[in-house]
Amino acid sequence: MAPAIGIIANPVSARDIRRVVANAANLQIADRANIVLRVLAALRACGITDVLMMPEHGGIGRHVARGLSRAAAHGEAPYPAIHPLPMPVTGTVADTHRAADEMRRAGVAAIVVLGGDGTHRAVVAHCGAVPVAGISTGTNNAFPEHREPTITGLATGLAVTGQVPADIAFAANKRIDVLLNGRVEEIALVDVALVTERYVGARALWKPESFRELFVTFADPEVIGMSAIAGLLEPVTREESGGLMVRLGTPASGMTVLRAPIAPGLMASVGVADWRRMPAGVPFVPEVKAGSIALDGEREIAFSAQDRVSLTLRDDAFRTVNVGGCMQYAAQNRLLTGAPAPVTAEP
Amino acid sequence: MTNTPYPLDKADLLQAYRTMRTIREFEERLHIDFAKGDIPGFVHLYAGEEACATGIMMHLNDNDRIASTHRGHGHCIAKGVDVHEMMAEIYGRSTGACRGKGGSMHIADLSKGMMGANGILGAGAPLICGAALAAKFRGDGGVGITFVGDGASNQGTFLESMNLAAVWNLPVIFVVENNGYAESTAMEWAVSCDSYIDRATGFGLPGVTVDGTDFFAVYEAAGEIVKRAREGGGPALLECNMVRFYGHFEGDAQTYRAKGEVENLRANRDCIKLLAQRLTETGTVAPAELEAIDREVNALIEDAVRCAKAAPPPVAADLLKDVYVAY
Repeated sequence: MAPAIGIIANPVSARDIRRVVANAANLQIADRANIVLRVLAALRACGITDVLMMPEHGGIGRHVARGLSRAAAHGEAPYPAIHPLPMPVTGTVADTHRAADEMRRAGVAAIVVLGGDGTHRAVVAHCGAVPVAGISTGTNNAFPEHREPTITGLATGLAVTGQVPADIAFAANKRIDVLLNGRVEEIALVDVALVTERYVGARALWKPESFRELFVTFADPEVIGMSAIAGLLEPVTREESGGLMVRLGTPASGMTVLRAPIAPGLMASVGVADWRRMPAGVPFVPEVKAGSIALDGEREIAFSAQDRVSLTLRDDAFRTVNVGGCMQYAAQNRLLTGAPAPVTAEP
Repeated sequence: MTNTPYPLDKADLLQAYRTMRTIREFEERLHIDFAKGDIPGFVHLYAGEEACATGIMMHLNDNDRIASTHRGHGHCIAKGVDVHEMMAEIYGRSTGACRGKGGSMHIADLSKGMMGANGILGAGAPLICGAALAAKFRGDGGVGITFVGDGASNQGTFLESMNLAAVWNLPVIFVVENNGYAESTAMEWAVSCDSYIDRATGFGLPGVTVDGTDFFAVYEAAGEIVKRAREGGGPALLECNMVRFYGHFEGDAQTYRAKGEVENLRANRDCIKLLAQRLTETGTVAPAELEAIDREVNALIEDAVRCAKAAPPPVAADLLKDVYVAY
């Protein structure tokens, strides 16, 4: 029997102020539902028959149900059966936490996530060893790769049904643990930024004069957001151990001025004091004594001089579906090629 | 740069707190006096939603216009309408903002840019398009803001106004005050399209959602949106997710609410408590400074009620006065 898959689709990602300060995109609810249907079709094609889904009141589930009932009316069976998790809906990140917990307990083989970096962070915080397959529907999206969701669904199906060997199907990922007063308060999948604002406010980061310190798990010059700053200084891949730390400030004498895409369509001049590698497993204490901690591009925690903050990067902290690897393996091994039709002899 | 760790100077932060406290005290007092039968007509209270009106209105001046809703007291106070005149209006006295002939749902003060509370759902949206068109022709940088609840956002007037504002590139901001209930109907039962942001996107407007119980979230987002409108960037939509502490109207039995819901909201999502906590935790203001404001606000509301009760009602001969505007 094929394993079950979980799907967590966040209806409220990509709604913040970056639509005004930086012309960021808004992915409409109907499009998010269409993505879910595309993923479901790909999973079914790989033999997946059951999917657990996070309930929400944002409308995704309703649109998906419409698609399923239409298919059923046509007598088609292109989709797995959907099982909404029996849990209350609060409309907050607590829903994502709880859904990831419940899916892990139910033994799903992977969780497909629709959202931005923040949604993926919320899932990873609670999914344990269950691999995550990320689909980008947020604003900055440094963590989930930009790819057609049908392919993500296909790779996930091939991975969890064992058609692709596990050493190829899944990849290890890094994270940064954020400790506040000795307790792990939060995690970040891509970056932790220390900024001078002492309030969470509209959450997004778009004022470079407030940036002070940056810690990243990987530094990719092809992404946007805070990770782009590190990526344009010294690339660090997702696969290698450790990350990068950068000291930032208002451009002043002696500083390197870097022009970086800190949000979609928003190029900013950032003052860079210095940067160096951030080894795994070593706690770092930021120099900023009061301000707020931004995780994966959004201010989450305000802290004061009385708080003790430390950051530790962890290698091999959680697993993702290696979509590229799965699809290469599928092509090389003809996983999606049926047996050739018998050739009829000429009369 | 400000003289605090926040985007506002200390004096402005204290003013924000004062405004929010004034709205809260005003509404708490009406809740009591309405139950006693002292107040004619209907009242719809804004308690719990103060951060939204205050965070937005701090970016406006008297030249900017707002068009409010049936739940308009908070908008009025944050826009600078005189609290004594408001209280007298709600009490139906001739010293009221509208000479006591409008009541709670029709408070207006054009000198403050307050075009009126409105008893008709969604009716403020086309009004504000007119005001914004005038501002655009004058070229004075004025903006217009209209408020709707999650229920009124389904009205044709609201949708048509978003279309008009986009077509004419008007400096209008559509604020959806989403407190989760259209009267008694939860949003998921009544709002197709499921997202106000998607609706705005359909008309070519950018949309932003913020936590409407966080004063700084509203203030920051509204600041960027207002600035964009002033600079000719056109209309936008701001959705504030917020909570209301009382029923849809005073007297509402609220059978649609879960047990303990309001107590939980008051304990954990009270925007005034949250603001006070942040300001005092960072040492920006002393608790005693906030307590002094509390005492002043209490005295102000007490005096407003005393004056309202002492004032005469309008006389029959004034019935048709102030009804039409002479050009």
